Amino acid sequence: MSDMKWPYPARVDQTCRMDADVLVLGGGIAGCMAAISAARRGAKVVLVDKGAARRSGAGGSGCDHWESAATNPCSGVTPEELVQAMLDDNDGYNNGISHYIECREGWDHLQEIEKMGGKIRDTEDEFKGAAFRDEKTKLMFAYDYQNKFTIRIWGTTFKPTMEKECRRLGVQIVDRVMITSLLTEGGGTGGRCVGAAGFHCRTGEFYVFSCRAAVMAMSRPARVWLFSSAHPGLCEFRPLSTIGDGHAMGWRAGAEFNMMEKSVRAEFSSAGRSFPPYSAGNNHNTWYPATLIDAGGREIPYADRDGNILKDVAQRFVPAQGQSYFLKGGNIERAKYAYDGPETLPYEKLKELGYKLPFYADLSSMPELERKVIWGMMVGQEGKTNVPVYKNFTEAGFDPEKHVLQCYGVGWTSAEFLPQERQLFGLPGGFMNDWDLMTNLPGLFVAGDALFSSNCFGHAASTGAYAGRKAATYAAKEPENRPLHQPQIDAERRRVYAPLAASPETGVSWKELNEAVAKAMQNYCGEQKRDELLLSGVELLERYEKEIVPQAYASNPHELMRLLEVFDILTVAQLILQSCLARRQSCEKLEFFRTDGDGNAPAPFICIRREGDRVLTREVPLDYAGDIRENYEKHNQDYIAEKAKEAQA
Amino acid sequence: MNEPREFQFRQTPPARPIRFDGDACIGCNRCLEACMIDVFLPGEKGKHPVAAYPDECWYCGCCVMECPTGAIHLQHPLMNQTRWVEKASLLKKREA
Repeated sequence: MSDMKWPYPARVDQTCRMDADVLVLGGGIAGCMAAISAARRGAKVVLVDKGAARRSGAGGSGCDHWESAATNPCSGVTPEELVQAMLDDNDGYNNGISHYIECREGWDHLQEIEKMGGKIRDTEDEFKGAAFRDEKTKLMFAYDYQNKFTIRIWGTTFKPTMEKECRRLGVQIVDRVMITSLLTEGGGTGGRCVGAAGFHCRTGEFYVFSCRAAVMAMSRPARVWLFSSAHPGLCEFRPLSTIGDGHAMGWRAGAEFNMMEKSVRAEFSSAGRSFPPYSAGNNHNTWYPATLIDAGGREIPYADRDGNILKDVAQRFVPAQGQSYFLKGGNIERAKYAYDGPETLPYEKLKELGYKLPFYADLSSMPELERKVIWGMMVGQEGKTNVPVYKNFTEAGFDPEKHVLQCYGVGWTSAEFLPQERQLFGLPGGFMNDWDLMTNLPGLFVAGDALFSSNCFGHAASTGAYAGRKAATYAAKEPENRPLHQPQIDAERRRVYAPLAASPETGVSWKELNEAVAKAMQNYCGEQKRDELLLSGVELLERYEKEIVPQAYASNPHELMRLLEVFDILTVAQLILQSCLARRQSCEKLEFFRTDGDGNAPAPFICIRREGDRVLTREVPLDYAGDIRENYEKHNQDYIAEKAKEAQA
Repeated sequence: MNEPREFQFRQTPPARPIRFDGDACIGCNRCLEACMIDVFLPGEKGKHPVAAYPDECWYCGCCVMECPTGAIHLQHPLMNQTRWVEKASLLKKREA
């Protein structure tokens, strides 16, 4: 392999220039939906993806459920109730705007995806008569069968149909181009976003995009604390390539971020402690509410939030006595009492009662349609399960009527991680947004995992569609594309290509640098924070940037992509350290704990951005979104009228 | 056993996620074009691609889903292959 000639032409001396009204950065769920929605409003759209939009992004290989579809015809909750619960459950440290968009518009966008060719209903009547199926609409629900706001979907069909729809609408899709930098008016931090620059990950060709508005639809950061040079692809829950390039280039450009001090103890890293999600026995998300048994085949009891033992499987799908609805199946995010769903008894209690490890997921004793919907639909449609779990296990003889699948560890994560092994998971930080999902950089809109407090597929799709239409409206008011700042482009070109000239004999590889950053973050930004540690981290990472980055090498455009990702991880790590330094008090819901803090009194959001070389922070009240419904309606009269017209027709 | 007469240097991969069935593969490169990580490089004309960066694989399975002839097998590293048993065997053990 080491002697293999690079099979693609080398084009580092060439530049491809493209103009758009709306430039979409990232072709995952949010990016595709943004492109579709902008193109439908007549904008000339260019969508750029580091991989290939057909299957790229965290949801490219599938998704089994769509959360918070509060306006679907069967829903028992209103969008207002649901978003209020999400805010309350997190003591306000959540994105009220983006989640209201998810709750209010999610069902609209799911129906659009259906029109494109995505499958959202049991049209073959495979599950006819099931308690989770609505006979009239043929929609199938998960978790709370009484309130029906989580819809089971055949998500393996979604991404290819979205990509096809983009092409049908004339969106220019540019695959295999990594965007490395936002271009700002005048080239300075904090200016209007007028374009982006990047390079082709196979040929090295340089790309310069000019636009009237841009939608940032890249992922949340990853591999900041966790790295394995043997299995880098398995370090985190989401794909190897989704590591927060957008956060890094946003920070460099002066965009404002919120909640970046939040990180949680790791939950998923199958390069190390845990197993690939959904491939081991468990009873959460995709596997909710599988029956669990112990080593001796004894069934493990489920209980409601008051500790009352549930008598049968059917009770796992209904709210407790006196509860209107519950948020998720299994207490996956440690929901407050008000929203807490059914769950198996805690392990300590089970140990006391004589239950023995290992535990197993046992679908054999469940009602037939519940078994079939977990094994075959949910495991099968959820990303990363179709081939390596459902297909492979079936071919190897796994029979859910006969076999039980082992659980590892005692909780749903399949492993216990150390306090310093951290991830950006469970509503992590990201770009700060206003009611148009615009950032502080005029013309830069934001969607999906790039937003602060993002989570699932439905959130990505809904905020993507919303940001796309707002960007199109914004672009339509701009009389022309504003000029790009050539010195900024030249500087970026030098930065991007520098590693191709560094020596593999004496230089540092992307893996060595990623591992060093991850170890530094475990050492200086673990569970317990204090200024001396954080400042030591800042100092070390600055040294890496000054001394190690210039030594880093890449032998070809693919390695260059991996290396520039790690440069972005290094930038994000610095953004996280600065955000941690800015918060002086511990905050439980941000999983932020200081040993040198001055208490844990309720504190506002602390937003952070760069201006030149200075780091600026400002406090923002947790309820900055204001009256959610009123503000949404104020900002979306056009959309509301459009939907009313469609309903009439 | 035939002892080798010559030794070879080769790098030690931590895992081999992707295996091709060379007979079934028609060399269409759809797997290569679908992979968002770009772990493949084109192989000889008409032949299957080369999994050039196997350690970067995130085991999503899209290459297999896009393959028109079922020529790809994707497999988790050995350490991540989970275990199942017949439920009856657990009950038997308890009775014993």
